[in-house]
Amino acid sequence: MANLHVESWSPDYGSPYESDAALAEPERVDETVEVPGKWEPISGVDDGISEVAFVDGVRRVDARLTLDEPGSPVPGLCGSYAVGAVLWNRSIPRSEVIEARVSRLAVFAAGKGAPIPVVSPELSYRSESVPDSDPAALITRFHGAMRRAEGELSEELAMAGRFVVSDGPINTMAATDKVGFIKSHRAPYLSAERSAVIARLGVAERTPLFLIGRGGTYERYSWYFRIAQLAGGHSWTGVVRGEVSAGLEKSRALTIAARTTAIIPAVASESHIDPRAPQNLVPIAALERELRRRLGDPGYVYRALRSAIMRTTPAGVT
Amino acid sequence: MPSQPANPNDPAVGRVLGTEHTSTSEFRVLLEEDEYLQLDDLVVVRTEVPKRGEVRTYGVVTESEAIFEGASFESDTRRIAGEGTMPGAKVRSARVAVTRVDPEIWVSPDPGEIVERATGIERDRALYVDEMGRPLPVGVGRDGSPMFVDLDFFDGRKGGHMSISGISGVATKTSFALFFLRLLSSRPDILGEGAANLRILVFNVKGEDLLWLDKPNRYFDDAAREQWQRLGVEPAPFPSVSFWAPPRTHSGDVVLPDTGGRQDNVAAFTWTPREFIDDGLLRFLFTDANDSRNQIPFIEERVRAQLRRYAVDVAGEPGAVVLRDPVEGHRPGDQVTPHPGETVIRDLRGLVDQLEEFVDPEDAEPERRWTGRTQAGTVSAFMRRLQAATHRLGHLVRAGESRRIDRAAAQVSVVAIQSLHDLGQRFVVGALLAETFAEKERTGQRLPLSVVVLDELNKYAPREGSSPLKEMLIDIAQRGRSLGVLLVGAQQTASRVAPEVMENAAIKVAGRLDAAEAERAEYGWMLPSTRARARLLKPGTMVISQPAIPVPLVVDFPFPPWATRKEEVDSTQADPFEGI
Repeated sequence: MANLHVESWSPDYGSPYESDAALAEPERVDETVEVPGKWEPISGVDDGISEVAFVDGVRRVDARLTLDEPGSPVPGLCGSYAVGAVLWNRSIPRSEVIEARVSRLAVFAAGKGAPIPVVSPELSYRSESVPDSDPAALITRFHGAMRRAEGELSEELAMAGRFVVSDGPINTMAATDKVGFIKSHRAPYLSAERSAVIARLGVAERTPLFLIGRGGTYERYSWYFRIAQLAGGHSWTGVVRGEVSAGLEKSRALTIAARTTAIIPAVASESHIDPRAPQNLVPIAALERELRRRLGDPGYVYRALRSAIMRTTPAGVT
Repeated sequence: MPSQPANPNDPAVGRVLGTEHTSTSEFRVLLEEDEYLQLDDLVVVRTEVPKRGEVRTYGVVTESEAIFEGASFESDTRRIAGEGTMPGAKVRSARVAVTRVDPEIWVSPDPGEIVERATGIERDRALYVDEMGRPLPVGVGRDGSPMFVDLDFFDGRKGGHMSISGISGVATKTSFALFFLRLLSSRPDILGEGAANLRILVFNVKGEDLLWLDKPNRYFDDAAREQWQRLGVEPAPFPSVSFWAPPRTHSGDVVLPDTGGRQDNVAAFTWTPREFIDDGLLRFLFTDANDSRNQIPFIEERVRAQLRRYAVDVAGEPGAVVLRDPVEGHRPGDQVTPHPGETVIRDLRGLVDQLEEFVDPEDAEPERRWTGRTQAGTVSAFMRRLQAATHRLGHLVRAGESRRIDRAAAQVSVVAIQSLHDLGQRFVVGALLAETFAEKERTGQRLPLSVVVLDELNKYAPREGSSPLKEMLIDIAQRGRSLGVLLVGAQQTASRVAPEVMENAAIKVAGRLDAAEAERAEYGWMLPSTRARARLLKPGTMVISQPAIPVPLVVDFPFPPWATRKEEVDSTQADPFEGI
């Protein structure tokens, strides 16, 4: 057993890291796939679909680790993530959490690794390593694991015939009914001329479809739509972006875009309730809350982990 | 790890809630989706205690609760149940007050343990029935099974007396008292030796509700019959009742009972001047709680003693007396012929007039032998009260054959005093209580038992002030238990009754209470949840507290088989005791 230590610093220490593989570099955009000419707002169309599954994931660093190797200490982390789904049955109407999967992962830098002692059956970590020795790479790997799990769950549900709205970009390109729901706008996809239409979007109205990443791995249809109009907001207030796999027939993509545009405003949150309103959807906020709860009490997990690791590390060695 | 239920299709209803601390006094139950618990349901939890083994915790449900888990804002309710856009689970739970741990290892139940409905033997354990010396059923619980009171805590063995509180108008206090006494007298198998010669004295203070205890009720139905039978009693009116009422005023020489609806089998009662003097009933003419603040008790006491010494029977006039100085040499039991001009005392008026000549004569000094050193003002006050009493209850004292109430004539004696002025009511109650208590004091025996039912106890033993009647009630409350004199007192507001009387009642009962009244310290024996409910109790539902069980029980008692109004009397049903 190598000398493994839990850092006494709070696991939250360190800058939050956001990773979005699709944003790596500017991609080619084709603005003419639906409307080649001048763009006007298009109303969403609710086709009356009765069930919508929302998929999301949460993650938490449980503890920062140090592996005491000859030469230099190796950083690592222990983290938990959970992915899950809420099924919104619009005909009853009721929502329920239909899936919640918790995973625990330890990541070490510099290609090193050490098994994490099993604390209890509900609290055991699988161990992985990254070649990099940059601590930020640990988070990247951890975040990636969560995103993968989200993608798998979305795909599973979509394969089972459900209409899936997943938080964040889609990351599996199978031609199924799943929509990536993107709340923040970091990359400009549209030309200035075309993006002018966004300011004119009403609630439940969208832009025409455009195609991102033609010919690349992540080829997908996308559109902007407005889910809420806030008093005093700027022109992009309440505007979100949806995307679906370009593997779908264009007509199918249009149906999904129309439907999403029409029904998502019904689950937009309100600013006095959710600081990320209106983009943070009500079912997704509730799902995140539930998933965080399922990760277990952070204080309990941290202390249990710490005492389990201390028991296996020879005394007197620091 | 939580244990599994022994039998899958039975009584498990949920698990002990683990999000908050359990304690030895209270815990909560998370209910299974297809189960429920309502107020007053009894439950049991088994907890494995390290080194000691299994401990069973019994309890009674005091509150039922439900919430949407996952809702953090009030408007989330609409999102969950209305729009359905937010996931949320309905969670139902129940709050349980612990009644017992068995064996007595006082540990809290473990969270996550299975909670079962307590039925059969487990129900008996939850209610301590297995430990009761003599469990008497006193109604049914919400589950339809009997609830019990340990008679050891009523008949004086370990405790005595019962106190019943509740607002008037819902007619539950007296009804419950009579129901309890009917059970008591119908179950000699449980009451035991005390059942022989059990005597019950009941005062009818309002309406004529209690004058029909021996008549069947025409509205008594099979459902009520079934309830009575569940308590082990064949429902029937009281079999042995005597009814007593004061005589009508201004009825001349004919003594007729002063009752409205009922005349048959009601006897008029009076005391003769001789009985009045021998029993020292003079003191019960001064029962106003304010009288004790002045000197009146001193002069009353002196006059009372002097009357005993002076009174001599009159030959040929039973019950009448003349007052003669003891130096004249008469002895107890002597009968004399009145001197010419000597006043023969045949009623209260005569007595008072004669006394006035002694203590407050016109144009003469009062006789110091009668007044002592009392000031003239006090003597006048004394006389004024006597005059007022003569006016209000003079008709209760008259010479002639003895018409005192014979408490041995029947098992239940109902004394109808509703037609009397307050002063007269207090006089009769005082006289009868004194008689009952004195009788038992003489024998010093607990048996036979003598039960007294007295409504509006606050009138007789008020919290403030003092009076001979109040002192006697306190005495009964404190010593009656060992002498077999048991008080079943009822009042609207326990807070207006002398605390000494309330504190000595081992069994406390409450019907519907006024909201402000329920918050008073006198009802500290109730759980907060029970207090909240006390405002809503229906007629026929009572809360009972007894020393053997640490939480109050809520019971329903059945409709009576006897009539409580003239209109209820079932005249079609032949009176089984007619002609006996």
